[in-house]
Amino acid sequence: MKFKAFFTDKGVTTLEKKFVPAFEKIGKTCYVYLTRTHVTLMHNAVNADGVQAIAQFKEALLFDDYRISSQNEDRIAFTLDLNLLLRALKSSVSMDGDKLQIKLVKKRPSLNERPMPYLTLESKGFRSAVVQDIPISQPLSRGDVQELQDTIDAVHNLPRTLVQMPDLGQLQILVDRLKNVGEALDVAVTFHGDVHLQVSTTLVSIGSEFRRLQVLGERAAAGSTLDATASPAMRLEQALARGEASSVQVKIKHFAKSLQCSLTRPDTCYVGVAPSDSYLVMKFQFYAPATHHPDTAVTLHYRLPVLERVG
Amino acid sequence: MELRCVLDNVQGLVDSLSAVRWKKQQDAICEVSEHGLVIIVEEWGCLQARVYYRKELFVSYEYSAESRPRFGVSLGLLVDTLSTFSSTGTTGLELSYPGSDMQLLLKLTDADNTCIYAEIRTKVTDTVPKEYSVDGDGGRRAVFAVKSAALKEAIDDLEWPGSSISITISPDPAGVILRGEGHHGDLQIDFPYDAHNELFAAFQCQSEVSYSYKYKFLRATTANVPNSVTKDNRGSKLTIGAGGLLKVQHLISLRQAQQHNMDPNPTQQGRVSYVEFYLMPDEEA
Repeated sequence: MKFKAFFTDKGVTTLEKKFVPAFEKIGKTCYVYLTRTHVTLMHNAVNADGVQAIAQFKEALLFDDYRISSQNEDRIAFTLDLNLLLRALKSSVSMDGDKLQIKLVKKRPSLNERPMPYLTLESKGFRSAVVQDIPISQPLSRGDVQELQDTIDAVHNLPRTLVQMPDLGQLQILVDRLKNVGEALDVAVTFHGDVHLQVSTTLVSIGSEFRRLQVLGERAAAGSTLDATASPAMRLEQALARGEASSVQVKIKHFAKSLQCSLTRPDTCYVGVAPSDSYLVMKFQFYAPATHHPDTAVTLHYRLPVLERVG
Repeated sequence: MELRCVLDNVQGLVDSLSAVRWKKQQDAICEVSEHGLVIIVEEWGCLQARVYYRKELFVSYEYSAESRPRFGVSLGLLVDTLSTFSSTGTTGLELSYPGSDMQLLLKLTDADNTCIYAEIRTKVTDTVPKEYSVDGDGGRRAVFAVKSAALKEAIDDLEWPGSSISITISPDPAGVILRGEGHHGDLQIDFPYDAHNELFAAFQCQSEVSYSYKYKFLRATTANVPNSVTKDNRGSKLTIGAGGLLKVQHLISLRQAQQHNMDPNPTQQGRVSYVEFYLMPDEEA
């Protein structure tokens, strides 16, 4: 199998300043999945007992002269340590060299050991060149690669309703405080554009209701309104009873981790409940430069596993 | 509702309640009256703390109970819950009691359609907190007030001897001596009134009084005093009354929300919450 490409400036910035720091907050290592057309970073792709995060880039956004070949339909996947990738990218930026090349190689760490796979970043400056080897896992088998592809395909099957998320900074402060109270977070979205968050224990319930946010997909019928004078909890019950809302429970630490997505600086964020209440889904959009239209060259999705409610 | 009130400075209430947290698990008794709220925390027979939050500290205070409600609540839970609200803007936090299940209800609504709410379960309490007083004991009462930062620092330092701490207030020479004598050694901290009267806001003593107090309870009276108190340096007042009952009082300045108050002076009348500790003397010493 072979992989070689040259980073674009935008590619280095996108990874070094935004996506790798955000993904590091979720976990130390992640999958890197390369195909003829796309490059994908993935967390918890297979055993989703944590936050599942999938960032998919069209290869032209990150690379020039992108070359890939393998016996598995030119698909290659492996895992690597995100901190090592980040350090390599940061030092290549400080080198300010001509071009940053990335390629897959096999090297012996020492004479006695067998060849191991590495991702090599080579930066050529005016007077010197820097070569950085990032150790990676053995490439994934055909079956494991297919599992990654299946996960990506499933993630594009979005909830029927997505509601814009409230301000991420405000949410992070709130969730940080709610973590002191309990471990499970109830998240509900309504077709009216409301998002409810609540932590409950036997002694206290604390919740927040964000109203009249933007809705994508299925929304409440015109003329259907919820009682504005009722308490937030009663308003949510009303919406659930009418089938105009979905509510699931997730681990608050997962929710807090996923809010670190703010490091990717998305232009819009949406949250929704996947069909059959199977996952809580967050979808992030990045606008194409100087427009307000989503850039199809990059997509980011988070999926949080749903807890079974007790009682 | 027996009580419905609106508070614009949640952080002030959080600070006042945090000042009386000396253990992780503490039950507090909350007494509601037409005058305001009193929150009482007690280690029975050793230490009692009271936080007075008068009705003038609220933006609005509607009380309509026939008899003064009293309920129990977890202090840590109350502080953590209130802290959730203190980060948000400057709109008022509404507290009301009781909810349908005798809960304490909190609600804050922002201008941008955001609402944060909480329901805290309360407990029925038969305990009637003892009313302590250091007044009216026929003259054997000594009072002094020193800068809160100096008092806190002295008590923090007195951890070292690992013993009970004696507090001696004498008229001649006028001053206060705090002393610990323990396994590691002795430590004495003097506050002489004449030489350092810039530290004192008040001193009144007709005859010498000296009593010892368990260190952990004495420390509880200053350990969690909010930074605003030590920075303001209004002074913390200590009174030793009959039988050695020690009262430690702090004043916590409460700033109004910025849009209500252009006056940066936080010491305007009525914007102060009182925190009082009552300490029994150490019988073993």
